[in-house]
Amino acid sequence: MNNLSRRSFVSFALASTSLLAMPAISTGSARPKVVVVGGGAGGATAARYIAKDSKGAIDVTLIEASKHYYTCFYSNLYLGGFRDYDSIGHSYDNLSANHGVNVVHDWAISVDSAARKVRLGSGATVSYDRLVLSPGIDIKYDSIDGYSVEAQTKMPHAWKSGTQVKVLRDQVLSMPKGGTFAMVPPPNPYRCPPGPYERISMVAHILKERNPTAKIVVIDPKNKFSKQGLFMAGWEKHYPGMVEWIDNDTHGGIKNVNPETMEIETDLDTFKADVACVVPAQRAGAIAMNAGVTDGDWSPIVPASMQTKADGNIYVLGDASVASAMPKSGFSANSQAKVAANHIRGELTDSRVFPAKFSNTCWSLVATNDGIKVGANYKAGEEKIEVVDKFVSKTDEGNAKRKKTYEESIGWYNGITTDMFS
Amino acid sequence: MVNFVFKFFIAISCLLIFRGLLAEPLLDGADFDYGEYLSGQCLTCHQSSSDEGIPAINGAEALYIAKKLILYKNKELENEVMQLVASALDKEQIASLAIYFNSLEK
Ligand SMILES: Cc1cc2nc3c(=O)[nH]c(=O)nc-3n(C[C@H](O)[C@H](O)[C@H](O)COP(=O)(O)OP(=O)(O)OC[C@H]3O[C@@H](n4cnc5c(N)ncnc54)[C@H](O)[C@@H]3O)c2cc1C
Repeated sequence: MNNLSRRSFVSFALASTSLLAMPAISTGSARPKVVVVGGGAGGATAARYIAKDSKGAIDVTLIEASKHYYTCFYSNLYLGGFRDYDSIGHSYDNLSANHGVNVVHDWAISVDSAARKVRLGSGATVSYDRLVLSPGIDIKYDSIDGYSVEAQTKMPHAWKSGTQVKVLRDQVLSMPKGGTFAMVPPPNPYRCPPGPYERISMVAHILKERNPTAKIVVIDPKNKFSKQGLFMAGWEKHYPGMVEWIDNDTHGGIKNVNPETMEIETDLDTFKADVACVVPAQRAGAIAMNAGVTDGDWSPIVPASMQTKADGNIYVLGDASVASAMPKSGFSANSQAKVAANHIRGELTDSRVFPAKFSNTCWSLVATNDGIKVGANYKAGEEKIEVVDKFVSKTDEGNAKRKKTYEESIGWYNGITTDMFS
Repeated sequence: MVNFVFKFFIAISCLLIFRGLLAEPLLDGADFDYGEYLSGQCLTCHQSSSDEGIPAINGAEALYIAKKLILYKNKELENEVMQLVASALDKEQIASLAIYFNSLEK
């Protein structure tokens, strides 16, 4: 009832503004409006599904800062030399050509949730009936003493879409013989739990081929990590003696990093690196903070719909949300986007709303043809997204199975990028 | 004569049971819109643009899809991801997915 009256009010308000302001072109603006901020795994999927499934009944605008989206997923495979950089880049052209999404390449600067308007970098404002925010993460530069925006060229995090991973690859390729690569993974919660360890595997893969006496030291702020047994067994098998992983209890905490001297100081010791990948703590993209839908670093959501707990007109997807049991992954963001898209269509066009169903699988590559995976199904609990069932690869499975798992990940990459951008 | 009638009766019953187990009943309760929604979960991986590593299933026979999903659900086919997906689907959801994917262009 509440929804119905809100909906009638929205259409009445829209009809009256268009009548007063722009009577000549009122037909288009009579459609309910959805604005999506962020054209990544969550946002591109949401924009595409809302536009596609509503068959033009909803006016969808996607605001994305970049002209091309370079996926973080598979960026480690680029680093390891398994993919070229162009193959992980995607354009937004099909979203407008095939589904009529209005793609605006600009930054969303602020959200006025009372007036339901988003202000862009250009100064223009875009109004919405429903707003979807999927801005991914911001890096908390000050979470590690000595790290900063400037430090990221010397000690790249390469944890966001873009060219930093190219810098990192060049640095690894030109590392001195027998040098040291240091990795500082982020503390929980962070984007892509197995990501740092896949990255270590890919760096080890390059070094084994080009610089076999080099060493990798992992200075972790955690005492355990995702798929730990599988990764550690893989390192021992493919890169024996090359990778040393030091947990937080052993090194006693990371005190600071120094990009000038390339040193990482812990309670235990000071580590000197030739190349260092330092990934600080993270939080929801700034626009989620600005919209007032965060609590601490992330946005709490209603599991059944992905609406924020703070504002029913605003949905937050992907890394920026508190999705409880679901990891911050591209697969999760894509899955959440479909739940939100279905709910938004229901709210705005009275289409049927089905119960939320979520899933995730994260594939990682340990070495050539050695793929591993972890996955789960989830359901919307009252307060939290809850695990229904899960699986993880086994340490003793054969080579053929591992090769198949890697091939499956290629299928997934093609699948999800088609699902986002076609 | 009695023997013939008896055999005929058995043959008809077998046929009915066979049809009952393997044919249309698998698609009972199929709901196209529900299938469209549920397909979202499959489309993250299964796309007609690629057959590499993961098969394209657009336009496949509805019964074929339903039977495969049941085999994964019963863990008679291997693949952890598919077993997980299928384990969370009931009969109506399987039927809905089957008719929806069948309706898509190859
Ligand atoms: C090394 C690495 C490996 C990974 N591997 C995998 C993997 O194998 N599988 C997997 O599932 N996931 C993987 N991930 C995780 C995955 O990349 C993220 O979880 C996923 O991208 C999250 O989607 P999102 O929509 O929340 O954010 P993103 O995909 O980051 O999208 C956010 C978008 O919003 C835009 N944006 C942000 N703020 C604004 C604004 N104010 N205005 C306009 N635009 C804005 C950004 O430009 C960006 O394009 C990996 C991540 C890393 C770093």
